[in-house]
Amino acid sequence: MMQVIGHEWAVHSLESSAQREQLRNAYLFCGVHGIGKRTLARQFAQRLLCQQPNAPCGTCRTCKLVGLGRHPDVLWVEPIVSGNLIKSAKIGIEAIRELNYQLSLRPVETTRRIAVLSQFETANDAAANALLKTLEEPPGNALFLLTASDELALLPTILSRCERLNLRPLPIRTVQSALEEHWQAPADQAQLLAHLSAGRLGWAVQMMQNPEALQVRQQALDDLSQQLSNSLALRFVYAEKLSKDRELLTVTLDHWRTWWRDVLLLVSGQGERVVNIDRLSGFKSLQQRVTAQQAAQALEEIETALQQLERNANARLVLENLLLEWPRLLVAG
Amino acid sequence: MKVSCLQENLAKALGIVGKAVGARTTLPILANILVSTENNQLRLTATDLNLAISCWIGAKVEQEGAVAMPARTFIDLVNALPQGTVSLELNVRTQAVNIRCGSYNNDLKSLDAQEFPIVPTTEGQDGIEMPVELLRSLISHTVFAAATNDARPILTGVEARIRDGQITFSAADGYRLATQTGHLGAPINHVPAIIPARALHEVARVSHDPNTTAMMVLSANRSQAMFRIGNVELVSQLIEGNFPEVGQLIPKSHQTRTIVSTSELANACKAARIFARESAGTTRLKIVPGNGATPGQVMVSAVSQETGSNETTVDANVEGVPVEIAFNVQFLLDMLSAIETPNMVIETNAASTPGLFKPAGKDDFLCVVMPMNLNR
Repeated sequence: MMQVIGHEWAVHSLESSAQREQLRNAYLFCGVHGIGKRTLARQFAQRLLCQQPNAPCGTCRTCKLVGLGRHPDVLWVEPIVSGNLIKSAKIGIEAIRELNYQLSLRPVETTRRIAVLSQFETANDAAANALLKTLEEPPGNALFLLTASDELALLPTILSRCERLNLRPLPIRTVQSALEEHWQAPADQAQLLAHLSAGRLGWAVQMMQNPEALQVRQQALDDLSQQLSNSLALRFVYAEKLSKDRELLTVTLDHWRTWWRDVLLLVSGQGERVVNIDRLSGFKSLQQRVTAQQAAQALEEIETALQQLERNANARLVLENLLLEWPRLLVAG
Repeated sequence: MKVSCLQENLAKALGIVGKAVGARTTLPILANILVSTENNQLRLTATDLNLAISCWIGAKVEQEGAVAMPARTFIDLVNALPQGTVSLELNVRTQAVNIRCGSYNNDLKSLDAQEFPIVPTTEGQDGIEMPVELLRSLISHTVFAAATNDARPILTGVEARIRDGQITFSAADGYRLATQTGHLGAPINHVPAIIPARALHEVARVSHDPNTTAMMVLSANRSQAMFRIGNVELVSQLIEGNFPEVGQLIPKSHQTRTIVSTSELANACKAARIFARESAGTTRLKIVPGNGATPGQVMVSAVSQETGSNETTVDANVEGVPVEIAFNVQFLLDMLSAIETPNMVIETNAASTPGLFKPAGKDDFLCVVMPMNLNR
C-alpha cells in the first residue's frame, strides 16, 4: 500500500488503476504548495516500480532509491532558480529536450521509465510545447507525473493530455496527529503548526524542521503588533529597513496576511477558525476596537502589496503605502 | 573489500571506463566509479545511464566487496601513483578507501555501492560472435550518418539487423543513409535493435586489437545492447521506437552510372571543401560520358563569393546520360572514408533525386545522399 497521509481518494484511484493495469500516459497532481503532490508522485513511482508482492514495500533497493530521488528510471525535472535581483524558478526547454531524449531510451533497471515534472506551472510556453508530443505518445510505456499548484497556469493542451487529481487540504486534526506520530513533534507545537498549515502537511513539516522559519514568523508578528502602535515616522523607518530584503518582505507579508485573516474571523464571530492560536490574547484585546471592515480592508491591502511586489514594484514604496493605511492600535501580548 | 593490483592495469582500465562517467548532476552517484571484486578479478564500472563501461583486471582479492569511488579524484590519484602494486582497502565504518602504493598512502571518501545502478553483464548470455574487424567496419562505416541533434531521438541511433546470418548496421539523419553488411559464421536471426551512435563510437574506440573476437548480446527484454571485447564490456540502452524502413530509401534504378577512382574523387572533394565553406558545403558534380576519343569525366566544383572558385576534373567511366548534381561536400567525404576499394560507383538519376554511392565490385556497403539545390 502507498504510505500517504490523507488524500485517500487520490491514493485509491491511483491504486486501482495500477492494479487493473489501466494507467494513463500522464497524471497531473494539483494543489497548493506543501500539500503532498511530490510525496504522492514519489509513492506512486515506488508503487509502479517495486517488484515486491505488496508494492511499494518501502524497504527494497528500488523503493529506497526512488524515495531518495536517485533511481535511474525515475527522472525528476525541477524548476531551476535563476536571476540575481529577482529570483525566479523556471523549467526551461533544454530540460524538456533532455527529458525527451532520455525517455526515448529503454529503462535501465525496471520495465518502465517515470518522469516527474515538479511545479510544471513554472515551465514557459516553449518548454510546455516541447513536451506535448512525448506527453501524448510516450515512447515505450513511459509515464508522466506532473505537479502544479495552479492548473490554470498550465496550457490547455497540457491539461487535456493529463488525468487531473486535485489534492485538497487535509483536516487540521490529521495534520496534527501526523506531526506527532511520524515527526515526533511536541503536542503544543504540532497543534500550532497544524493550525498554521491550513491543511498542508508538507508545509508544516518544512516549518518544523526549520526553526529559523518559525523565528521569522515570530518576528513578523511581533513587528506587526509594534507597527500598529507606532507613529507614522517610526513605521517609515521600519519600512526602509525591511524593504532591503525582498524575500523576507514577501514572507513577512504572508504572515501578516494570516494575522489579519484571524482578526477578521474573530470580529465576525468565527473565533474557532483562527490559525495563529499562540496570539489569541492579542486578538482578544483588539476584538472591540477593530471593525470587520477595517480588517477586510487591511487584508485586501496586503494582497495588493504582494501582487505589486510580484510585478517588481519598488519594495519600500509598496510597504510604506501599506503601513500608511493602517489604523493606529495597541495590541496586547 | 581488500584487494591489490598493478598501477598500470588500474590506470589503463580507468582510462577506458572513465569515458562513461556521467556529467549530469541529477544523480550524484553517476560521478562515481563502481569498484567491485568478481571471481578474483577487480571490476571497474562507470555509467551515465545511457552507456555503461565495465573493465576487468587481474587482482589479488583478499576480501570481497564493492564501493563507489568519486571518478575524477580516483582517476587523477591513480595516474599520480608510481608503477607497482596498488592496494585498496575499504573501511566499512567510515566508507573511506585506503589506497596504498609504495610510500604513497591515501584515504579517499567513497559512497555506498548499493546506490550504483545495476549494470548487466554478458556472462551466461547467448551472444553473437564476430571478428573485431567486422564490428569495427560495421560501426565506422555507418555511425557518421547518424543524426547528432536530439529532435528525433530515433535517428541518433544505428539500426542493427540480424537475418539469416547476415548482420546489417544502418544509420540515417534525414539527409543521408549509410548501411554496412557483414556475414556471421552461423545462420542467426534477431529482432532489430537501435543502438545510440555515441555508444558505438566508444565500442569502436576499444576494439583496436584486430586479433580478438567481439561478442554482441541483445538482451532478452530488448533493453540493452552489450558488447564484450577482451576484458572490456560496454552496455548501451537501446532507443525506443521504429527505425525508418531502410530498403524503401534506397533508389531502385539509375540513369547514369559512374565508376571513378575513390582516392581521386576524395582529393577533388577535399579541394572543393575549401571553397564550399561559405555555401553550406554545396559542391557540384558535373558528370559527362566519354565519346570514344575522350574518357568520361566528373567535374567537381565549388564556388564562393568571397574566396573564389575551384574545379577539379577526374577521369571516370560513365554510362548513361550527362547529369549535374550538387551534394554537401562533408557528406561526400564522410562516405568516401568508408569506401576501401580503389574504385567506386556513383548512381544518379537527376539533379533533384538522391545519389547512391558504393564500392566497385562489392555490395556490402552503400550510402545514399540527398542532393542540394543547384541554384544556390
